Amino acid sequence: MTNLFTPALLFLLQESGGGRLTLAWDKVQHPDLSKFLVIGALLFIIGVAGVLTRRNIIVIFMSVELILNAANLNFIAFSRYLQDTGNPNALAGQVFTVFIIVVAAAEAAIGLGIVIALYRNKETIWMDEIDLLKW
Amino acid sequence: MILSGWEAVFFWVFSIAAILAGLLTVMARNAVHSALFLISTLLSVAALFLLLGAEFIAGVQILVYVGGVMVLFLFVIMLVNVGAEERGATNIFNNSRQVAAGLIFCFLLVFGLLYAVGAGPQGLEERDKKKGGEAIAEQRLAQQQALATAATGTSKITTATELVGGSLYRYASLPFEIASVLLLVAIIGSVMLARTLKQEAAVDDVPPEVLKEEIQRELELAEVIENVREVSPDKKK
Repeated sequence: MTNLFTPALLFLLQESGGGRLTLAWDKVQHPDLSKFLVIGALLFIIGVAGVLTRRNIIVIFMSVELILNAANLNFIAFSRYLQDTGNPNALAGQVFTVFIIVVAAAEAAIGLGIVIALYRNKETIWMDEIDLLKW
Repeated sequence: MILSGWEAVFFWVFSIAAILAGLLTVMARNAVHSALFLISTLLSVAALFLLLGAEFIAGVQILVYVGGVMVLFLFVIMLVNVGAEERGATNIFNNSRQVAAGLIFCFLLVFGLLYAVGAGPQGLEERDKKKGGEAIAEQRLAQQQALATAATGTSKITTATELVGGSLYRYASLPFEIASVLLLVAIIGSVMLARTLKQEAAVDDVPPEVLKEEIQRELELAEVIENVREVSPDKKK
């Protein structure tokens, strides 16, 4: 399908935009390390925004999982990059990711245990109502 | 590391899906919808892992995150009552000043990170060109072509998972053992946290009258705390 569309789009771009746009289209067609890093950065920031703005403590936990996944994506992207440049220690990134997933699972179990205990005592899951230490 | 052809198409499909589902995770009113959008984000990221040649990590991501952690999340959402939030009776975000401060912080992070991401890999590319990175990439491609074909005949059998296992046990065997202890602690901790006063008493063989006194004392304490909160002048509600 790409092979069908590419020449037509290239022609259109050359007619309309000139060299700059064709260069951009070429970069879109061949995503490299930096594209993966951009996706990782965006996921991380979405997670940070969720942690900072939401009231529901469970959604805040989900945002933390999003942040950890963004870190995993960066680790794997760099691991692939180092594999392609022939680095002998390239798989360290994937090993790191395994440990991050283990820690995330443990964190989710403990965190949700805390949420249940909190709900049993305070009858709320909203972060701005859990301010016992603030008076 | 440059993807091309169908890999590039799938990269854009899954990365845009991951970002959109991530945004909806943060913005969905119903916590169950949030959890479902987070599942689709995790699946998209697993697909990106596959594109990057990390088959084992993609499998672990789906098994552990989607199959384990997200099911746990859904259980807890069902256990706690989120009815008011679903009906639209309450605000799902913090008050507007906090949200504004948080969003300003996030935009600063966006600009900083995108600037850094734009500048860094270019430097890496220039360094690789000096070292003859293209020759190494071609060598790697030739190695992949030389691998045995899988039973379906459409793809090659890779040894990537074998290599991950090898380096996990060879270079990270101590952290691996520590991770197992961490998981044990997490199991015990979550069981301890989630049990009720009655269950604790049953385990510790506390006589019922002592338990009754204990519950009475806790109720009184809660009442005292509630009174103090009502008297305190800077109460926000």
